[in-house]
Amino acid sequence: MQVEKFYYDNRIVRNFAYATMIWGAVGMLAGLWVALQLVFPQLNITQYASFGRLRPLHTNAVIFAFVGNGIFMGVYYSLQRLCKARMFSDKLSNIHFWGWQLIIVAAAITLPLGLSNGAEYAELIWPIDLAITVIWVVFGWNIFGTIIKRREKHLYVAIWFYIATFVTVAVLHIVRSGELPYTWLKSYSWYAGVQDALVQWWYGHNAVAFFLTTPYLGLMYYFLPKAANRPVYSYRLSIIHFWALIFLYIWAGPHHLLYTALPNWAQSLGIVFSFMLIFPSWGGMINGLLTLRGAWDRVRDDVVLKFMVVAVTAYGMATFEGPMLSLKSVSAISHYTDWIIAHVHVGALGWNGMLTFGVLYWLIPRIFKTELYSKKLAGRHFWLATLGILFYTIPMYWAGIQQSLMWKQFTEAGQLKYTFLETVTYMRPFYAMRSLGGTLYLVGVFFMFYNMYKTVKNAKLVANEEAEAAPLAKEYVAHKGEHWHRWIERRPVQLMILSLVVILIGGAIELVPTFLIKSNVPTISSVKPYTALELQGRDIYVREGCYTCHSQMIRPFRSETERYGEYSKAGEFVYDHPFQWGSKRIGPDLAREGSGNLKKSDGWHFRHLREPSSMSEGSIMPPYAFMIEQNLDTTTTVAKIKAMQTLGVPYAKGYEYQANNDLMMQANSVRINLKMEGIQVPANKEIIALIAYLQRLGTDISKSKTINKNN
Amino acid sequence: MFKFIKQYVESIDNVNIYPMISLLIFFLFFVILLFMVKKMSKERLSELSNIPLDKEENTNSTL
Repeated sequence: MQVEKFYYDNRIVRNFAYATMIWGAVGMLAGLWVALQLVFPQLNITQYASFGRLRPLHTNAVIFAFVGNGIFMGVYYSLQRLCKARMFSDKLSNIHFWGWQLIIVAAAITLPLGLSNGAEYAELIWPIDLAITVIWVVFGWNIFGTIIKRREKHLYVAIWFYIATFVTVAVLHIVRSGELPYTWLKSYSWYAGVQDALVQWWYGHNAVAFFLTTPYLGLMYYFLPKAANRPVYSYRLSIIHFWALIFLYIWAGPHHLLYTALPNWAQSLGIVFSFMLIFPSWGGMINGLLTLRGAWDRVRDDVVLKFMVVAVTAYGMATFEGPMLSLKSVSAISHYTDWIIAHVHVGALGWNGMLTFGVLYWLIPRIFKTELYSKKLAGRHFWLATLGILFYTIPMYWAGIQQSLMWKQFTEAGQLKYTFLETVTYMRPFYAMRSLGGTLYLVGVFFMFYNMYKTVKNAKLVANEEAEAAPLAKEYVAHKGEHWHRWIERRPVQLMILSLVVILIGGAIELVPTFLIKSNVPTISSVKPYTALELQGRDIYVREGCYTCHSQMIRPFRSETERYGEYSKAGEFVYDHPFQWGSKRIGPDLAREGSGNLKKSDGWHFRHLREPSSMSEGSIMPPYAFMIEQNLDTTTTVAKIKAMQTLGVPYAKGYEYQANNDLMMQANSVRINLKMEGIQVPANKEIIALIAYLQRLGTDISKSKTINKNN
Repeated sequence: MFKFIKQYVESIDNVNIYPMISLLIFFLFFVILLFMVKKMSKERLSELSNIPLDKEENTNSTL
């Protein structure tokens, strides 16, 4: 058959490669900064760079900017070669590239401004969510276009991982972005309380699964065999790895919510599937490592293979630890602590970071048709990164377990041994060591920058790389008794639909029953909607990212009920759009901050927010003195109440128009309370609303303990 | 819109049978998958797993 001549587009690969390097450094720098803020709270300079606003910037930058661009770099390189075709459309490639970079820039501007949805890894506001949807469709269109015009009959396993990534991320993003805009920038989550929590961690866990894992597994299945110059150890295993992984992953989300107010059946479902995940994950890891069988001697000299081996090993460690952390007894100790931070960084620094570096060192010299400037420097980068991971994770594991034990320690007289603050000050040396690990890792990245700069400086990009291949026969005649999987391997659209069905079943079974609100969330008659002032205060709480340090979910353990009061009930959160349970306790739980033993005066809150260490010596909380200056924006009150009514929060009809009067009355009473404590502050300041919200927390349930099961 | 969906879903009868059905579907799916994968021929697998590597044979790459 006549061979066709065509050209691979290397320019788009280079662009994404540069983007992943630059955004990687930015994201890691933000990470280092927030890590240092926990050691030196003075680094919370201005409201725009406070921990609560920068931490989402760090997570979003690393996930969507560093790893995101890394995915696209790898996909655009490998897909063209696996399909023996240029990308479907250069225009779509460019729209994808620049659109994604603009989204990142928009995120980098809005997050420090406090424009946040208050849901982890889904903080970006609704206009950006829309833009992500559009750009994601462009990406999908481009990859399917390429797959359809391919010259290679069969779809290699890496492409299946790309297809599953595309389709699942689309579903996750759309479901999580279910929100009701009330201004052109802000919105409320459609879901409330327990439902919102379940949607969030179904999304959050699968963001890890389908953004940080499956696309990178696709990259592993392509680049590891390339770098080792031998085929993958077992193609059979890769087929099982693929189907098992995408089926099991989608169910695992609830393991983030063990011992919370989430219904028990959902927790059990999450545990079972999380535990089963160890099998496909380890199958994949073993498949990756055994690809190097007979080539281990090359790992000693080849820095690309070194990076890849550590990456696959880190994947194995993280996916062993994940199922263990999903067991209830382990979660009881690990949840809310720095153990989880260590766990995710084994994944992010080890798996995603090291694989990205390995691919970069392999790919950049190839698309520039040159040699890497310095293998020695790359080797130093490898050791800095590896040591950085160790210096980061070991102190965090230690700190996490230690902190958890301190939270649970009782004296012989049966009282809690440590105040929360004592456990925080104990953590600070560990936070310092962690920052050192992060610094080492980042210095390694700068070594790479220099190395890459020198590599490409005197070389020229092979923007259009020539290749030849025979076109696909128009009609493929299946031979008799053909293997079913060969059928699917030729059909990308069917593969996508089957992947979609697989993940939708898991997703629907998990989410649909929780929407049966009446039988799953016992309502509590004394739980009432927030007043207008409290709602405004709550939105400030969301804006400042308080959930990045404070949970609002008391688990049913004696150590928690002694410290924070009665454990949290699902019915307490029915008007919380979005839920604010949090996932990490750098500060104490706030679910009952306004009731019982935890109740403090308005003046205490005022002084504490102005200068936290003045009330709690050694506190590492950022100061919020700017809220004393800033006026509360009451122009949004009507829109907010209306939006809440649409979402089903039972405010009386017409309440929206009287809401601002109510708001001012309540603000005045807070002002008078403060005045009696010797604090002069006008009633229209933001701090008044936040105090009102904090004083409301946990008060509903203390009014009445009757729980009506409405089913 | 969301309220509408919610009302709709509230009326599904015996929703608790859904997880059991899906578990069975996928148990069978995996058993069949394992069986089929086991049956794949060695030559076929080797051909597939060499897709990333056989560039030199079919293309005239400049690299």
